[in-house]
Amino acid sequence: MKMMYGMLTALAPAAIFSVFAFGWDALIRIVVGVSTAIVAEFLYQKIAGRKVTATDGSAMVTGLLLSMAVSVSTPVYAVAASVAFGIVAGKQLLGGLGKNLFNPAMFGRLFYLFVFPDSILPWRPPFDVTTSATPLELLRETGQTNGYSILDMFLGRIPGSIGEISSIALILGFSYLVIRKFVRWRIPAAAFSVVLILAVIAGQNPLYHFFAGSLMLGACFMATDPMTSPRFEKGQLILGAGVGLIIMSMRWWGWQTPGVYVFTEGTTFAVLTMNLFVPWFNRLFKPVKKAAPKPA
Amino acid sequence: MFDNSFVRFLSVAVVMFAVGYIRYGVGLARLKREGEVEEKARTAMATTAKKWSLVAAFLYMVGMVSVAGLFL
Repeated sequence: MKMMYGMLTALAPAAIFSVFAFGWDALIRIVVGVSTAIVAEFLYQKIAGRKVTATDGSAMVTGLLLSMAVSVSTPVYAVAASVAFGIVAGKQLLGGLGKNLFNPAMFGRLFYLFVFPDSILPWRPPFDVTTSATPLELLRETGQTNGYSILDMFLGRIPGSIGEISSIALILGFSYLVIRKFVRWRIPAAAFSVVLILAVIAGQNPLYHFFAGSLMLGACFMATDPMTSPRFEKGQLILGAGVGLIIMSMRWWGWQTPGVYVFTEGTTFAVLTMNLFVPWFNRLFKPVKKAAPKPA
Repeated sequence: MFDNSFVRFLSVAVVMFAVGYIRYGVGLARLKREGEVEEKARTAMATTAKKWSLVAAFLYMVGMVSVAGLFL
């Protein structure tokens, strides 16, 4: 429970920034997301006859993460439906916290991308930004990583999902999680390392990739979910590397496949795909207990 | 047909239900053949069926978006 409320604290800077950037529309979607998550979990547990844990913080984290991962243009009912699906199918169906296979927020986001594709666009620019093209859209059009200044991307003066635009706010929150030891830091470390290496090889600015899209939100706050990430260090590093590799692949080649537009970002697909391997990673990298030496 | 969000949602629900139901049925038949009567085995089989239905939903949604190009 302490960890879940710690996660909420860590997400607060990005959430608060999003309200300043996008106004009431962002706040409404965040409130709807969090409250829908609590209600969905409460109702499911009541109907299923289980102990109600809707206020342990985990549902709120799912609702907050998902509402931060959608566009501010998304209708409120789409946010609510996606959160409810994420909670019910992504989490409660297998028994609740600790038993889920997929990260519930990402599973709900996949549902959102599939069921409500028309609500993704347009990307409303924050503050006085005049263009609605996201950094990744500009990368796709030009093949260059100079569409926006790195400072603008770091501070959050770019279009994008509600909670992904301000890298500084996300970094502050993630630092809090690392200091409190609430997060498996090897996962984002591996993800960003792979992104760095691949960007350098391609002659692109790695910082542009770091601060663009939902890499930071996904790698730091979703791929690190303790219930759906590997327990052991090697597994965490491989999962993080896999997330980074899939994201970069989607950013470079995803848009070339008709219909893959919504996965231009790749974070949703990357995290959920790597979630599938977690049980195997846990079995593979489980430390072997050494047998006690036989007495002479 | 897939222009409608409700139809898309229904399609996901159908895929999940169909895969879960079939997997549970197949698993249950195997348990009966093996003479397994414990409730614990049936519960474990139900959990397996639910996992299959979630993976099927994931593959279906990703496949429909990327391969079928539903967003064209």
